[in-house]
Amino acid sequence: MKQHILSLLSEALPAVDFESDFLFSELDSLGVTTILMILSMEYKIPLKATDATPKNLKTLDSIVAMVESKLSAQ
Amino acid sequence: MTLEQSIQHFSQTTPDKVAVVCGDSQITYGALWQSITECADRLKAEGLEPDRPYVFRATQDINFLILYCAIHYCQAIAVPLEQSAPQDRFDAILSDVTAHTYSSDIADILYTTGTTGKAKGVMESSLALESCADNFITDLHFTPDLLFIISGPLNHIASLFKIHPVLTVGATVCILDGLKDLNAFFDVFSLPFNKFATFMVPASLRMLMQFSADQMAALADRIDFIETGAAPITSDDMRRLSQLLPHSRLYNTYGGTEIGCMCTYNFNDGRYMEGCVGRPMKNSSVTLTSEGGVVCSGRTIMSGYVGDEETTRQVLRDGCIYGSDLGEFDADGLLHLKGRQGDVINVGGFKVDPAEVESAASTHPSIRECICVADTHPVIGTVLRLHIVLSEGYELDKRAIALHIKSRLEQHKVPTYYDTIPSLARTYNGKVDRKFYKK
Repeated sequence: MKQHILSLLSEALPAVDFESDFLFSELDSLGVTTILMILSMEYKIPLKATDATPKNLKTLDSIVAMVESKLSAQ
Repeated sequence: MTLEQSIQHFSQTTPDKVAVVCGDSQITYGALWQSITECADRLKAEGLEPDRPYVFRATQDINFLILYCAIHYCQAIAVPLEQSAPQDRFDAILSDVTAHTYSSDIADILYTTGTTGKAKGVMESSLALESCADNFITDLHFTPDLLFIISGPLNHIASLFKIHPVLTVGATVCILDGLKDLNAFFDVFSLPFNKFATFMVPASLRMLMQFSADQMAALADRIDFIETGAAPITSDDMRRLSQLLPHSRLYNTYGGTEIGCMCTYNFNDGRYMEGCVGRPMKNSSVTLTSEGGVVCSGRTIMSGYVGDEETTRQVLRDGCIYGSDLGEFDADGLLHLKGRQGDVINVGGFKVDPAEVESAASTHPSIRECICVADTHPVIGTVLRLHIVLSEGYELDKRAIALHIKSRLEQHKVPTYYDTIPSLARTYNGKVDRKFYKK
């Protein structure tokens, strides 16, 4: 899943370093919106603004954890 | 009354009232005025003289406001650049603005692509700043009990010129560093205020409606008004926002760095007229040329472009700004915008000259030639796409090209989409055929 998410997000946001440990600081509002849109569409999970926290978007691993958490809650 | 005179006034009449909130920090009118005068003393000691420009990066915090006002208090000229301005751009602008002299009425120089499609320093007079504030106070009804949230970049007129009306009426401004942390935006509503207002570009409003509709609706009774502008808002988005906030005033404002704030329209009227920007505001006037070009005049317009008298004469004639926007008035006297002449692309309220993006991209070795065009993002709206003709032996590396452009230009000028094409379409005389790519 991690590799798939990396591939999806890198395709959509080529200027962002998704391997960074400070991913959230690299993003702007367009980046955050794009991530929420792509993940909600790809995994059919409901994502809201409240999910776009600095903690959830800190690293690629934390994004994967957020998706896994949403999937398990369904 | 200038912004600084207003802050000084409220520092005496309501010194303990909070003037600015930013994250966990806040500052009262009394402390703000003291900080401004102390900062002004430092600037003077460092050699800042009246009528000279002071270039700085617009950090999204209280220190920005202190520095901005202190520069004015020194009777110098504030030149705020975007927070992420690369050093090359900072140095180039510093060199540009310091090479000229200025009349004593110039307060700000704002760098924009704007009307001409080329990056220009737009000179704003004190009168223009005060008149814009007066327009907003009169037509949008800023009141002292308001907390106004600013989330956009403070070097951009849409955000910077909101500070003026807020603090001129003795209200409170809350500064956010963008909208990527939407929770931070909603946290503001836990502050002890009863009336909230904000400015957002249409793309940000759509983002909020897409991901936070429930939270928006829950705040309906506390949102006094929302103003949008800088880019077109769709009729569907007007309707959806009006349904979420049925009692709030929802304004679509027409303005720009060269013209200040001109017209505004409360679209929470059941009609949701796309492109409608209402009537001219108190200190503004709008007419149309015979071809439908929008001509703006009044106290809010710019004084000219830095060091470019020729372009100034092309745009500013007889006290009127002849811009690129097309429009028409309806039978009720409401102005409807009908598009824009020229090649400038509006990305989330920022005007982008595609040639500037192409020039930056073309220095990458993999690009033989390229063209930058407008494309559509499902939420953000208009974004940039770069069609690339690759140099021989190279494959498309979007990330490398994006980073290359990002190192040279502001973030909003970095294309979102990239693709390769075998060659560029050209006109009969060999120029790149931009019209072909607008189809």
